[in-house]
Amino acid sequence: MFKLAIKNIFYYKGRSITTFLLTFFSATLFIIFVSFMHGSHKTMLHNALKVYTGTIQIYQKDYRDEGGYDYLIFDNQKVFNSLEKIKGIKSYTSRVETFGIASSKNNSSAIMLTGVDFKKEAKISELKNALKTGKYNTKSNCLYMGEDLAKKLNISLDHELSFVGSAIDYSFAADIFKLCGTFKTGMYEFDNSSAFLNREYFDGLFYSQNASSYIVINVNDLDKNNYIASQISKSIGKDLKVYTWQDLMKSMVELVKVDSIFGYISMALFFMVIFFVILIYGFINISSRVKEFGVLKSIGLRDIDIDKILIYEILILTLSAIVIAICLGGSIAYYFEINPIVIEGISDMYKDYGIISDTVPTDFDIFTIFWNVSLIFSLNILSLIYPIYYVRTFTPVEAMRHV
Amino acid sequence: MIKLKDVQKYFYKGEEREVHALKNINLEIEKGEFSVLTGASGCGKTTLLNAIGVLDQISSGSIELEGKEIAHLNSDEKTKIRLNDMGFVFQAYNLVPVLNVRDNIAFIMRLQGYSEDRIKTRVLEIAQLLEIDNKLDSLPSLLSGGQQQRVAVARAVASKPKIILADEPTANLDSKNSQSLMDMMKELNEKEGVTILFASHDEYVVKSVNRIIKLDDGALV
Ligand SMILES: Nc1ncnc2c1ncn2[C@@H]1O[C@H](COP(=O)(O)OP(=O)(O)O)[C@@H](O)[C@H]1O
Ligand SMILES: [Mg+2]
Repeated sequence: MFKLAIKNIFYYKGRSITTFLLTFFSATLFIIFVSFMHGSHKTMLHNALKVYTGTIQIYQKDYRDEGGYDYLIFDNQKVFNSLEKIKGIKSYTSRVETFGIASSKNNSSAIMLTGVDFKKEAKISELKNALKTGKYNTKSNCLYMGEDLAKKLNISLDHELSFVGSAIDYSFAADIFKLCGTFKTGMYEFDNSSAFLNREYFDGLFYSQNASSYIVINVNDLDKNNYIASQISKSIGKDLKVYTWQDLMKSMVELVKVDSIFGYISMALFFMVIFFVILIYGFINISSRVKEFGVLKSIGLRDIDIDKILIYEILILTLSAIVIAICLGGSIAYYFEINPIVIEGISDMYKDYGIISDTVPTDFDIFTIFWNVSLIFSLNILSLIYPIYYVRTFTPVEAMRHV
Repeated sequence: MIKLKDVQKYFYKGEEREVHALKNINLEIEKGEFSVLTGASGCGKTTLLNAIGVLDQISSGSIELEGKEIAHLNSDEKTKIRLNDMGFVFQAYNLVPVLNVRDNIAFIMRLQGYSEDRIKTRVLEIAQLLEIDNKLDSLPSLLSGGQQQRVAVARAVASKPKIILADEPTANLDSKNSQSLMDMMKELNEKEGVTILFASHDEYVVKSVNRIIKLDDGALV
């Protein structure tokens, strides 16, 4: 039967070539498409994490629900000591956030003032790279603030502004600051209402020595992030809570999911078309061979033998097409993972999502490729069900009379 | 060897267009016979041949092959009987287009599980007898009608079935080819002792056979 199937494939070239090419192209395209989709999602997330969020954050248990100074981490050093013992952490830093009113000569605005360790911060976030004017590493009462915020307050470099808020013992805290640098991250909330101050000066003003709102961590390998998070969780005690980027960036994770679903739906529609073309070609071919099958049946082939011939035919065609598609699509996906495509301006287009580079790498992933092609494979096999049923409805005599 | 008892066949039974194609057929075919079912077109030759070859269901009656009832078996059992006990030759040659002559002749033997060695000798033997041994590697489409029909005969006899059923084998052949096909089939019948039953109204067939069975409007005369 197998030999007969092979001979049929070479004999009925039109159908064979159509089926082969369609399967081949759709599988290749699918692999590349999905790799690009995953790649751009991954880049999007990575970039977003890189901008400011980091991959893990540690909070006092209730801070994220309750907020306020009562739920700060009051012993940074102890947490740092624990972190030092855990493998796979690339960098970490602490941040203290406070809210208050900033006023220039002309305008006032509610702002979030964050005390950061500028040196450590540079290893965690993109704050340094987002520098627009002035300096990043500001000293004493120098502020580093969002470009839009500076505009809102209508001040430029070296101008003064006042800030009124409360220290962490709830005492009144106010000071005069100087604008020493502005940044733009592309994230509106951030550029529009955030300012940064070096830790030493901040601590002096707000009495926040060795305390923090939260601690940010970056890991070396994002795939191990959850494992590292659980390690940290074990080592830092019950009062503190560890959040991974999936917890922190829920909306973006959702966004990516929705986008993937749309991607798959459009691919699915595309496959439907391919599927029907293969089905129709297969059916036309097979119905033109009904007479031949009738002869085979009358000289002693069982229905199941005929089924086998048809199944072997599609198996050979589909498998060979898919194997080649995996090789080709896979190597294209792999190539572009190593040499990402550069699309000028894409970072502008997606700046709201925190994309900060123009490169779009693919995500080469054997598992994804595997289940993608199994899908195509199953569709092809599925396209045989009706023709097989159709051929079975004929008795040998009817089949031989069939024209 | 083959015994038909009260065989009836209707097409579209109960409908207005009902055809009573076989009427109470009682017939016996002996082993080694070389005979023809003859009669005007539409008299039921093909229907009777298909009934004997268990290709088609009969409406009532029984067909025995060497004492064993075969008309009412299930379709897999019938397939097995066709494969092992019957050889078919059709008007339209009906070779497998993708297989060369050698593989077409060997096809049934392969299905039956003969060893490749035996297949090889048998294919050569039968091809020489039918004078197609120089065409063994050609595809059927490259052969003349007469040659294709000889390949079909070779395929039918190669596995030594109990009976060969040949429906209008000469209908598409010119007189020269018809005559030589009949000569070769006669030779097969004599040399190998194979039972052959034709359905034909062709004079070349009718004058070559040993027994003539006449059908008229679905009944034996
Ligand atoms: N599959 C069929 N369906 C309906 N009627 C048929 C079928 N096969 C044959 N018949 C009818 O049965 C009668 C006998 O046909 P057939 O056996 O083919 O005759 P012959 O082979 O002698 O020319 C004819 O009237 C024909 O129309
Ligand atoms: Mg006929």
